[in-house]
Amino acid sequence: MSAIMQQAVPAGTAARGAIRIEDVVKIYDPGGAAVMAVDHCSLDIKAGEICMIVGPSGCGKTTLLNAIAGFHDITSGRILLDGELLCGADKPKAEPGSDRIVVFQNGALFPWKTNLDNVAFGPIMQGKLRPAEAKEKALSMMADAGLSGVEHNYPGEISSGMRRRVEIVRALMNDPKVLLLDEPYRALDSLTKSVMHEALLEIYYKNKVTIFFITHDLEEAIFLGHKVAIMTTRPCKPKKILEVDIPHPRDYSVLTSRRFRELIEETNEAVHEEALKAFAAGEKEG
Amino acid sequence: MLEILKKTMPFQVVSDTMLRRIAELGKRVAYDKAAIIYDAGDSAGDIYIILSGKVEHTLEPGVNARRPVQLLGAGDVFGWAALLEKFPHRLAKAVAIEPAEIVRINGDDLLRLLESDPDSGDVVMSRFATMITRDYTVPDLIAQMRAIHRKLHSSDIQGMNLTMYRLSLWLKSPRPYLMLIGFGLFLSFWYLAVEVWKLPRFREMPGLTVVIKEWLNPDPSYGLSIYTAEYYQHILVSIWRVTQAFVLASLLGVPLGLFLGWSRKFKEYVFPVFETLRPIPILAWVPLAIVMFISTESAVIYLTFLASFFATALNTMLGVESIDESYVRAAYCLGAKRHQVFRHIIIPGALPFIFTGLQISIGVSWFSLVAAEMVSGQYGLGYVINTSYTMVRYPTIVIGMITLGFVGYVTSAMVRILGDYLMQWRVRELALGGQ
Ligand SMILES: Nc1ncnc2c1ncn2[C@@H]1O[C@H](COP(=O)(O)OP(=O)(O)OP(=O)(O)O)[C@@H](O)[C@H]1O
Ligand SMILES: [Mg+2]
Repeated sequence: MSAIMQQAVPAGTAARGAIRIEDVVKIYDPGGAAVMAVDHCSLDIKAGEICMIVGPSGCGKTTLLNAIAGFHDITSGRILLDGELLCGADKPKAEPGSDRIVVFQNGALFPWKTNLDNVAFGPIMQGKLRPAEAKEKALSMMADAGLSGVEHNYPGEISSGMRRRVEIVRALMNDPKVLLLDEPYRALDSLTKSVMHEALLEIYYKNKVTIFFITHDLEEAIFLGHKVAIMTTRPCKPKKILEVDIPHPRDYSVLTSRRFRELIEETNEAVHEEALKAFAAGEKEG
Repeated sequence: MLEILKKTMPFQVVSDTMLRRIAELGKRVAYDKAAIIYDAGDSAGDIYIILSGKVEHTLEPGVNARRPVQLLGAGDVFGWAALLEKFPHRLAKAVAIEPAEIVRINGDDLLRLLESDPDSGDVVMSRFATMITRDYTVPDLIAQMRAIHRKLHSSDIQGMNLTMYRLSLWLKSPRPYLMLIGFGLFLSFWYLAVEVWKLPRFREMPGLTVVIKEWLNPDPSYGLSIYTAEYYQHILVSIWRVTQAFVLASLLGVPLGLFLGWSRKFKEYVFPVFETLRPIPILAWVPLAIVMFISTESAVIYLTFLASFFATALNTMLGVESIDESYVRAAYCLGAKRHQVFRHIIIPGALPFIFTGLQISIGVSWFSLVAAEMVSGQYGLGYVINTSYTMVRYPTIVIGMITLGFVGYVTSAMVRILGDYLMQWRVRELALGGQ
């Protein structure tokens, strides 16, 4: 049963996971405070692409991600996944599903389950695999990701960098089309972060999922992304979309390359400008 | 040497005391120009830290490093094969290309030292791993470091072990001795105030020695001591009532609380009623309880049950509401259905609060039991206290009170142990956090 399943959806072939965001608007609390978080935002993400979203704090990045994941509705516009409607005029809220898996800003491994049970959770809940099979698959995926030895520990017992990796493996267990990452490495020190970046790229080269990755960190964005969307301050929409022309596979030597520096300089101004606007807006409100 | 150690990648973030102990393990060795420090295939015992001079480090081709040859200088660390999980032999050749002074530290000794402080040990090891993959460009698969064994290996902590572990930690801390001093002060004050100083207001109280004599008297003047069967009968009756009330309160309160927290609709119907009834004191329920139940026994249990039930339900509800929204969202993302979210997220997520609730609940059940037994009933510790008052047996009142305190404490400890047992994950986190 599991073998057939794996064959039916061969890993490593892309051509799935294209996201199309068309004119999406999200207004929180339309009757009352009417906070406009996303304003006529359009963005095209190709299948198997790493798209990095950079924008000032509170601009509405998470809101956009939540709309794709199906955690809340949108006010207008529509979002398509591989040409199929996720949410739009007749169906303002997408169904959350295992084709789009979120790795949360603060991490959401279930602390009451062992790392192994966390990783095996998805297929068991969906009834795709029997618990024993799911655990077996989880063990081998964790071993591939260099996570042997912590299977029977609880998430609270391992380092935060490892927790992030377990969480990504938990997502990949479901063979998703899209990974939605909301500032996953914000809380990590810069050394661990650099290791995590390479680990993520390694996982990506093996699985070729589409990655929607929110960050504050421009260097991180250009180092990882095929495409970097720099968002305006609230309400959020793309201000500038940068196609990063550094070839994949990449490794840490990219950081010192000339092209990388040039791209940073090219975009830094746009980011800084929005950050200033966000700051000024904050002053006014506060 | 400390200065150099502090600058090395693996030891940068280690505390000064730890660093000093690491430095004590080191042996300084001088190498002449062109001396071979070790060659690939040698067995790997020590790690090396360069104090001065230059070393050329060449990884075997089989390692698949992106940059196999490295020139190392002061502050660089090599010989890390001594700490690798899977490779007991040298993977590289190291040659001094200038006269070099080097500190050697035995890998096993270092590991043993790090085990005394597993938290910094983990940091050191993960730094080593980072250094190996980043600076030496060795693939991850090789850079698997040996594990720092914790004295308390987390898989050892299970069930009752954990409670024993906590107990041993507690005995090692100053807390039990402070507690004894506290009790000592309290008892001496009691003794002095009543029997020695005979302070106003205290004069009429039963004194410490009187109570103890009566309590331990095979032939008690007022009929109740540890030698009389009646004493144990009162205790058993009270425990039995509390048990029934507590079990009932938990069986009804936990599900009610779970649904209150889980379904907004349900909460809108039920919670206002709940909040109106909850603050009514137990004593106000007494007349109705007597009218409602024909037997006094059921009335007493009902009264004991009430406050526990409210405490349990309320805490359970708060527990559900305290669950981080991301867990629920993550579960839906991973394809869980609503009932699965309830079973796998809501119940275990609320468990810490539920057990806080149950501990409060067992406490208030004793509290209400005594109130109920004072009003009606023929046995039980509350009954003992009340009748001793009307029959002017003051030492017996105090015996009843102390017994109550003690039995109440034991039952609440039992609830706590059960909680530890059911929430291994939480306790392991706490244990490893050193609390
Ligand atoms: N449920 C809500 N109701 C009303 N306003 C909200 C709600 N959620 C978010 N907002 C507002 O919408 C704006 C965008 O929030 P969002 O969380 O999407 O920002 P973000 O870009 O992810 O920020 P950060 O970088 O801090 O994570 C913020 O100003 C926030 O205050
Ligand atoms: Mg956010």
